[in-house]
Amino acid sequence: MKLKRICELLNCKILSAMENFDELEIKYAGAADLMSDVLAFGKPGMLLITGLNSPQAVRTASVIGATAVLIVRKETIPESTVELAKELGIILLHSNMPMFKACGELYKLGLKDPISSEDA
Amino acid sequence: MIEDRVDELLQKLQKYFSHITASEIMNKNVITLTPGRTLWQAKELMKIRKISGIPVVNEEKKLIGIVSIEDIIVALERNRIKEPIASHMTKRVVSLTPDEPLDSIISKFDRYHFGRFPVVDKDNRILGVISKKDIIRTILERFRLIYVHDERRSQILQKEAEWFDKSLITGDYVKKSYADFVFQINCTDIDLAGAGAAKLKAFLTKRGIDETLVRRVAIATYEAEVNVVIHSESEGSIYCWIEEDCIKVRVEDHGKGIENVEQAMKEGYSTATDHIRELGFGAGMGLPNMRRYSDKMVAMSEVGKGVVVEMIFCERG
Repeated sequence: MKLKRICELLNCKILSAMENFDELEIKYAGAADLMSDVLAFGKPGMLLITGLNSPQAVRTASVIGATAVLIVRKETIPESTVELAKELGIILLHSNMPMFKACGELYKLGLKDPISSEDA
Repeated sequence: MIEDRVDELLQKLQKYFSHITASEIMNKNVITLTPGRTLWQAKELMKIRKISGIPVVNEEKKLIGIVSIEDIIVALERNRIKEPIASHMTKRVVSLTPDEPLDSIISKFDRYHFGRFPVVDKDNRILGVISKKDIIRTILERFRLIYVHDERRSQILQKEAEWFDKSLITGDYVKKSYADFVFQINCTDIDLAGAGAAKLKAFLTKRGIDETLVRRVAIATYEAEVNVVIHSESEGSIYCWIEEDCIKVRVEDHGKGIENVEQAMKEGYSTATDHIRELGFGAGMGLPNMRRYSDKMVAMSEVGKGVVVEMIFCERG
């Protein structure tokens, strides 16, 4: 699914992105607040959905090679998180939608789970 | 000959692992037979499962005998292979209790020359079986860690300099000054946890190392680094060496140490505070994740002296 579509669907604010980012294709998405879980199931190119708004969310995404991080539920995102996303070239999105709903919407539209699906 | 060498090896190893008990060694997936089955069926089962003895249990799962290859041979000679097990099985079974220590188990193997021993609870219900293979498997698994209350560990720890200067895996002196990558971990700023792993990832990528390999190194190093930041209360270091066929990473600190490495290795076990959990850590996945992503990992720790984690990552063809 095009990242553009995800942004529209979840009414995302784009906090960090490179040029033409919205044309990027996202196949897998996974949600977690525990970064060790993300490290255990993460797949390169995935979208990480998390309620964690600290720089660790971005750093974990970078380590597993995720393309984008979507922070849900939180009111504000610390400047340090945004700065790190820019520095590491990670797309950072923010949506007010609750995690459950965000996941449900994306699942309905065909995004796959990185654990159970076949290798990209 | 091979059998003798196995025994010799077990004799040597048992003193390091004397605190392991039967319940930790036993294979819980026990194949049992009821006494009404025939010896022929027992023989078939032994052939298919490649085992040399099967415990016989009654309806209450209580151990009442064991049927061995020897029993089968005798029955074949006497042309009684189609008869029920009950009248041919060995009834005087030597069994083990779940808390029986390794040295006692090994001495039973020596004394009776049986291939396997059933482990039973106080009501004589079968819990598992132990063959020499199970002992070796358990010891090998333990060897992946050098852990607390281990005699070998205390020997190493007495020479304090050694485990901070020598490789836990190869035993060679670690040439830290020759490391290809060094990073000092700052334990005072949790927001910086993982910065070293991210730097290492960029460094390895620049060196043209395979992407999948780099990812594995980064993930495991990240976990190790986060552990230093959230648990050690001390500065730490990441060292990485790029070798011809593998990548070696060593993460060490001189902080609080881990009380029980073995327990810490279990998925979900965590001593993290709520504050740490709010920051997305402390799920008890750190050491298990390091093990998952590395080809070899050894952790060494003592309370108050710090932690050394060594990991090797090999390129898979």
